[in-house]
Amino acid sequence: MVMPGSGFNSSSGFGAGLVGGVEFDEKDASSVSRVAGVEYTVPLYMSTVKAEAGGNETTAYLFGVNEDYFNLMNEEAEFGELFTKSDVSSKAKVAVIGSKVAEELYGDDENAIGKTVRFEGMRIKVIGVVANTGDSQHDTSIVIPYKTTFGSVNPDKTFWAIYVGVSSKEDIESVKEEIKSVLSKRYSEDDFSITEQTEILSMINQIFDILNIVLVAIGSISLVVGGIGIMNIMYATVTERTKEIGVMRAIGATERDILLQFLTESLILSVFGGLLGLIGASLTVLVVRIFFPASISLFAVIITFAISSGIGIFFGVFPARRAARLSPIEAIRYE
Amino acid sequence: MIKLQNVSKIYQLGEDKVEAVNKVSLHIKAGEYCGILGSSGSGKSTLMYLIGLLDRPSSGKIIINGDDVSKLSDVELSKVRNHKIGFVFQSFNLISRFTVLENVLMPTKYTKGKLDFDVHKKAEELLKKFGIYERRNFFPNKISGGQQQRVAIARALIMNPSVIIADEPTGNLDTKTGNEIIKLLESLNKELGVTVIIVTHEKDIADRTNRRIYMKLYTGTV
Ligand SMILES: Nc1ncnc2c1ncn2[C@@H]1O[C@H](COP(=O)(O)OP(=O)(O)O)[C@@H](O)[C@H]1O
Ligand SMILES: [Mg+2]
Repeated sequence: MVMPGSGFNSSSGFGAGLVGGVEFDEKDASSVSRVAGVEYTVPLYMSTVKAEAGGNETTAYLFGVNEDYFNLMNEEAEFGELFTKSDVSSKAKVAVIGSKVAEELYGDDENAIGKTVRFEGMRIKVIGVVANTGDSQHDTSIVIPYKTTFGSVNPDKTFWAIYVGVSSKEDIESVKEEIKSVLSKRYSEDDFSITEQTEILSMINQIFDILNIVLVAIGSISLVVGGIGIMNIMYATVTERTKEIGVMRAIGATERDILLQFLTESLILSVFGGLLGLIGASLTVLVVRIFFPASISLFAVIITFAISSGIGIFFGVFPARRAARLSPIEAIRYE
Repeated sequence: MIKLQNVSKIYQLGEDKVEAVNKVSLHIKAGEYCGILGSSGSGKSTLMYLIGLLDRPSSGKIIINGDDVSKLSDVELSKVRNHKIGFVFQSFNLISRFTVLENVLMPTKYTKGKLDFDVHKKAEELLKKFGIYERRNFFPNKISGGQQQRVAIARALIMNPSVIIADEPTGNLDTKTGNEIIKLLESLNKELGVTVIIVTHEKDIADRTNRRIYMKLYTGTV
């Protein structure tokens, strides 16, 4: 499988920095499809849209493709059906949507079939829903015939990539060369790139892996720093309240009472920190949502509270133990 | 009720040993009104903390209601302090973050299990009796020293203790308010039958008590 193109659509901003800026058109798609060894060609228009149905709204990726897209992506309809070649040529106003879009707009997957979705001034009928793939880009996509995008959405009739499927693996290199020479007749070689999907996937994966490692590292450091901060605050609190601790022991508090009291305080402190973090994350997601589909999962919320509680207890134990082990009389005499 | 047998408390200050309390034997009976008298630094407070189970002796035996204190755990000692002993300090030691009423209720928060009386009603009764009910929602720094000491006595009484131990309760008060506080403690002993132990270096106060224990300076003995 070869993925030529990715001369990106500069206005949508995708792939910025990867390649320079040509936009493919139908002519390029058909010349690529004539290359020997090419089994199918999928022109790809892509943008993000605010989709609406029955009062619900969600941000989704809009893909304008042909019927071979589903072969290429190995996608099948869980409910309803996929669109066909004739839908593409007749500019049919039909869509196959990802399961997440279906849930956001219609409550569940099955319910979506036959309903209308509106975006960019178009009214499109949902004819199929693709099963949850676990890949957020696919699950939040609305896939329509590429010809249907021509008009209000894609007036220049351009594509930011052309996907190509080859019949046999051995052909990949020769097909790549051939496509390159065909496209070179129209564009300078610097203006487009041809990438095997496995290459681009591993590249993207690598970038995400690095990003993940960096984020996890920053996160862990922040947690430790935050934890030490909480520990210092608690040590200061214990010192400040030494006399109070002595008084509480005198009126009947056990070591355990004092330990639990200070542990609770540090827990409240850290969980409050976690809550602030979640509020920050929610605001960020609200902003990001304008451009890309994004959400905070329940799992992330649970993990946040679990980790911040853990930090509070772990770093709170030492000051709380110091408080509990103070000798009552020395605490009372403390000035 | 409280028995001390040859009790000593020795503080180790580097090389030096301070014998704050030295081989003291005492027997304080229920319902006594007792003064511990001695000059500053003679070990009165140390003795008082030992009697109040806040500290363990270096040697000797303390027996409370027949139980040897050295055999009791932290939880058991805390329980005795909570239920049987009320402390009153020279510097009041109210918790500044809490209101008067909350301060009075503090000991009930550390009681495990249910109490057989209405703690709120009891707290309000005490505050009324001591003439500080109107101040119940004030913070300690907004009331006078005499009033603060009354709050402290109310806090010491909330659990119906059998002993009140007061360490120089008049030390931070003028003579007039000091006398009022002493009269208050005296009435608790007379009317409620609570054992009252007052630690003081003022002879006038000690003279009013029924039994006087003199601590000698430097030797830590009685
Ligand atoms: N924690 C301590 N460490 C060392 N010495 C102490 C400590 N507490 C009290 N002392 C010493 O023990 C002696 C008796 O102190 P204290 O019981 O406070 O006397 P009083 O209450 O009669 O003034 C004093 O000499 C004091 O310096
Ligand atoms: Mg003293």
